[in-house]
Parts: sequence; structure tokens; C-alpha cells
Amino acid sequence: MDISSPAAFVNGGLLRMHVGRKVRTVLQVIRSDIASVMGKSTDGFQVVAKGSPPVPLTSYVEVIGVAENENTIRAELWTNFGDTFDGSNYDQLCRLANGEFKHLFL
Amino acid sequence: MQANEFDGNAAFSGGGFMPSQATQTALERPSSSSKNSDVRCLLPLTVKQLRDLSRGGESDISIEGSDVNNIVLVGMVSKIDNADSEYTYRVDDGTGWVECTKWVTKHTDSVEVDAILVGMYVRVYGQLKSIQSRWTVHTFSIRPISDFNEITNHFIECIYVHLYYTKLKGCMNTQPQMTNSIGGMTAQPQVANSNFGVPGKGYGDQANLTNQYKTDEEQIHAISSMVLQYLRRPACL
Repeated sequence: MDISSPAAFVNGGLLRMHVGRKVRTVLQVIRSDIASVMGKSTDGFQVVAKGSPPVPLTSYVEVIGVAENENTIRAELWTNFGDTFDGSNYDQLCRLANGEFKHLFL
Repeated sequence: MQANEFDGNAAFSGGGFMPSQATQTALERPSSSSKNSDVRCLLPLTVKQLRDLSRGGESDISIEGSDVNNIVLVGMVSKIDNADSEYTYRVDDGTGWVECTKWVTKHTDSVEVDAILVGMYVRVYGQLKSIQSRWTVHTFSIRPISDFNEITNHFIECIYVHLYYTKLKGCMNTQPQMTNSIGGMTAQPQVANSNFGVPGKGYGDQANLTNQYKTDEEQIHAISSMVLQYLRRPACL
């Protein structure tokens, strides 16, 4: 992970708060091609991750990169998170990590 | 009287994260005995929390008022250096990075380190050390993560343990002297960060509470009252 700055935990709704900054999120893959992945965030929003996804891609993938706008991430790092990832737990973590406990993360 | 024997049940009753009641009374001894093996906890931390650590005494490291010794980290390996039998991993958990050093002395150690590659998510158990004013982790164990729900779980545990140390202990430490009446106190002061970096006061109060009560029945009643009062406070959690 070549992170020069911390990456905030985000879901679809929180992405807009970090436009231009490094973020990390987990997407449920809907569609993928050679240059991008269209996925569903843990809170149900559609997010596009641009870049070169790994092959093969599992159902859930973690994307770390820079948020270009409120529904697009320019991905730098991809990690397959398997097929049995708990999205609702991750979603709660994103809310906590951007809310009351932000000081533990950023 | 203070308990001098190691009480295994009490030491581990907090699940390893938090010191239990018995170990908390032991902590009111002078700081030189804080390295006593029966009061060590294993704390899950983010690297950001590591970087925010404050020093309590000469070689004491404290976070949120409690001594930090052994920690758990979960992050991605971004760099590996190895020189002879010393492996250094740069572990980045998204909140920062820290170097974790593992010494390979046995065959089982080398099996463990051979499994770690750059780009892998790992769980690190180790001891915090400060070398040339930089934090490093002297690693006992570094293992790849196969179920990525562990990542979510680790960070949620970090939040929980942080909450435990700041709010729950703060609530208990701001209680006035215990009486036998339940619900006798209404207006309570703000508890957030009330005991930051002042562990001695909190543990002293704990000892006073338990020494007040002679019989088991009174002690149980006092503890029940404390729990009830804590649950009635909307400011807590």
C-alpha cells in the first residue's frame, strides 16, 4: 500500500465528503471491464472504480484510491475481499470512522 | 489488603483487552510495578492511535490512561526488509504505517515469515518499542488474513476498546463516594476525557470502593448499584 496520506473509510454516501482525497471502500461487483468496475457500495449507492481490477474478481473488492467525485474513485490498489464479506458491518464501521471516532482514523 | 497472588481468572476475565476489577486494584501500586505481568493487556489499535500515544513515565507508555504494552494491528504489508534473521515489515492500516520487526530464531518463525508477501493483509501481535524517537513493533506473531471480515472486526474492536477506556472508566471514576442507596445521584458531570492520562486517581477510587464494604452481600449490592446508575446515565455511550 503506497499511501502517502491516510485513506478514509467511506461508503457511497460518504464519498462526497472526501472528493480529491484518498479513500478506501468495499464494493459489491455488478459489472467489470478492463478499465473499470461498476459496483454497489455497502449503503446501496452505485460507485464506479476506474483502473485495472484484478483478474479474476471476487464478489466483493476493496478499492483504495482518490475520490474523483461523489460516485467515482480513481483506484490505485485493489484487493479481492472474497464472496462472503459482511457489507452491513463495514457500512457501520464507515459511519463510525467518519463520525464520532474520526480521531482514531484520520 | 491488596492481593499479591496472581489471580488467573481475574486477569483474563476482561477478554484480554481490559484489566478486570482485581487487576485494577493492583495498579494502584507504584509505577515501577506497572510492568507486573498480571496487569498487561492486549490492545487493538490503529496506527493513528499509536502515533497519538503519550508517555506516562520513564518507560511507561499510556493510552487513554492505561498502560500500553502488547498490541494488535491489522493492515497491509507495503514493504519487507530482511537482514539475516531480522524481518522488518511496514504495515499500513490506512490510518498510517508502522514498522514491525520479527526475529526468526526457530523453524516455525521462518515458516511464518515465508508466508508473508507485499500487498497482503496481516494481523500483527507485538510489543511497542520506541527506537530513536520512532515507534516500532517488536512482533511476536504476524499472520496473513484470509477472512476479510477480520479487518472490519479489528477496527470496530479499536473503537470499542477506546470507548471502554474513555467513557466507561470516566463514568466510574466520576462517581461520588458510594452509598447504599440506588439512584441517589441525578446530576452528573461530563465524563468524556475526564481521566485522560491520570490513571492513578481512577484506580485509587476503585480500591476505596471495594475496601468500604466488609461483606460479600454489601459488595454485590454496591456493584449492582454502580451498574444500575451507569445504565441510567444518558451521557454514557
